[in-house]
Amino acid sequence: MSDVPFKNPGWAGNTGEFDLSEDQVRGDDFVGERPKHGGHASGSATMPYMLAEKNPDAVLFEGEYKERFEKILTRYPDKQAALLPALSLAQELRGYVSPASMDRVAELLGLSPAYVRGVTTFYTMYNKRPVGRHLVQVCTNISCNLCGADDVLAAFLRYTDTELGETSEDGNFTVIEAECLAGCGFPTCVQINSRYFENVSPTEVPKIIEHLKAEGDS
Amino acid sequence: MAYPYVSDREVRVVSKHFGDPLQRRIDTYVERGGYKALAKALEVGPEDVVDIVKSSGLRGRGGAGFPTGVKWSFMPKDTNRPHYLLCNADESEPGTFKDRELIRWDPHQLIEGCLIGAHAIRAQHVYIYCRGEFFETTQVLARALEDAYAKGYVGENILGSGHTIDVTVHAGAGAYICGEETGLMNSLEGRRGLPRIKPPFPAAVGAFGMPSTINNVETLCAIPHIVTHGGEWYRQWGTEKSPGTKLFCVSGHVNKPGNYELALGFPLSELIEDVCGGVRNGNALKAVIPGGSSVPIINAEEVSRCSLDYEGCVAVGTMLGCASVIVMDETADIVKQVRRMADFYAHESCGQCTPCREGTTWTAKILRRIEDGRGTEEDLDTLMQTTQNMVGTTICVLSDSVAAPVQSSIVKFRDEYLALIRRGERVGAA
Repeated sequence: MSDVPFKNPGWAGNTGEFDLSEDQVRGDDFVGERPKHGGHASGSATMPYMLAEKNPDAVLFEGEYKERFEKILTRYPDKQAALLPALSLAQELRGYVSPASMDRVAELLGLSPAYVRGVTTFYTMYNKRPVGRHLVQVCTNISCNLCGADDVLAAFLRYTDTELGETSEDGNFTVIEAECLAGCGFPTCVQINSRYFENVSPTEVPKIIEHLKAEGDS
Repeated sequence: MAYPYVSDREVRVVSKHFGDPLQRRIDTYVERGGYKALAKALEVGPEDVVDIVKSSGLRGRGGAGFPTGVKWSFMPKDTNRPHYLLCNADESEPGTFKDRELIRWDPHQLIEGCLIGAHAIRAQHVYIYCRGEFFETTQVLARALEDAYAKGYVGENILGSGHTIDVTVHAGAGAYICGEETGLMNSLEGRRGLPRIKPPFPAAVGAFGMPSTINNVETLCAIPHIVTHGGEWYRQWGTEKSPGTKLFCVSGHVNKPGNYELALGFPLSELIEDVCGGVRNGNALKAVIPGGSSVPIINAEEVSRCSLDYEGCVAVGTMLGCASVIVMDETADIVKQVRRMADFYAHESCGQCTPCREGTTWTAKILRRIEDGRGTEEDLDTLMQTTQNMVGTTICVLSDSVAAPVQSSIVKFRDEYLALIRRGERVGAA
């Protein structure tokens, strides 16, 4: 892999002893296109994607998303257990979980709005306010930190021209700090929407940003 | 193979096919002997599977190191109520990155382990609780599971045995505390991930109020191999009390970071010098955290005496935990790193118990003050006292986990703290 567009995308990049393509490491060729209706019910709760395209007014839920929601319900002994997957589904569509989304999910699952509010705010992955097209999460925990994660975070903030936790003016980027992403052997580990970017160093940040602007989050 | 680096010192059992994209495909997996252990387990019955695992001495790979076979034997034998097997794939201990590799390279190994485990504890449903950040990993797992359903390895009447076991992949939503077993159960049930008071233990009252067992990904991945080859075979590696092999996640200042599967009891110094190609840039080793951020930090001298098994780590005053070896060379700023860990725990505390909610926050604040040069020597005593009050006073061990690195670093690297504190005083005087 000599013509790697930038060092990494989701695999051990130039640092490992393997000669694999990005597809092979990520398993993209194996997974293929995951259908919006969720595929087999056993994996229907696994698709809480962060997508670049968001529709804050999307209906919760209709069409294929409704189909997926109903599949999720079949996998648990009670409705409440579907709460986390349902909130994720709402976020996948709308990009964040607004109080109105929480209320709607509460209604669908027969739970009280206050209860759903309590659960939603407990978990960090539910965005409580809108985020940019690309949600950039830079791990700054110990293993990445030892290898310069603070500089990577600073580079993302500089090149996206935004402040920590804020969305850039063009609406493209929200950069936040993340706790350990379990990619400690590939520092610095950065999650952008649904994808992991590993072995990121500050010099590669502009390339990653250009790539995202040009090709979306694929 | 280890991934992304390979070492000939490894014993590859669960990581044999890391780096081989073909292994994800069910045909390849079956060709290479996959799902044979499942067939054997279904034939011999639950009691015998538990006995095989007991005889192997396999200990839970999630951190606590409790013998897996014994844990399974706590489950009630009746099947009047549903039983659940929960697979803990909520890998979020800083420094740990083995489960993600296990799932993304060899998803069927985990599925087979889950099915055998479920059979052993008479469960009809397995929930694999993956941490929410693992979007890509869970897609691989979901796709593999779909294949396994299609081929009749999962679902109704598995392999014509009359047994029904369903498997569901559940994604979390970003909370470290959901890796604690009772926190995980609450989260699975659609609650906040607050750990529960024990007793009742999960084997009596677990997920959805039913008898449940929770095992780590790596534990379940070892099960098919143990069932195929027997307990004695697994004992050929490791020590008497810590048999078998273990994935070591090495990160930080080494030349070749990565996952290495080694026999337990492997010397820590050889892992760093030999397997991982030494400390980067030829620098001197300063400190190592051998078991993820929740265990006491050890200095270079202790590293030279440490063998990587549950007992060997205790002997030098630390713990094996989930074997996440974080290596720091002479350039590492201990105070900053400990402060970063304290920040992490302050962020992840669920807020249920006062010693943890207040303790983690204040510990982080005081450490920040010292790091900024505004600390005093009394702060070190306050930290020791505060963290001492956080040990054993809460429902789960999250607050103990912050005490371990803080106390051990103050004892072993007091000079670094004092240097920051004194520099601060000078700045103030000028």
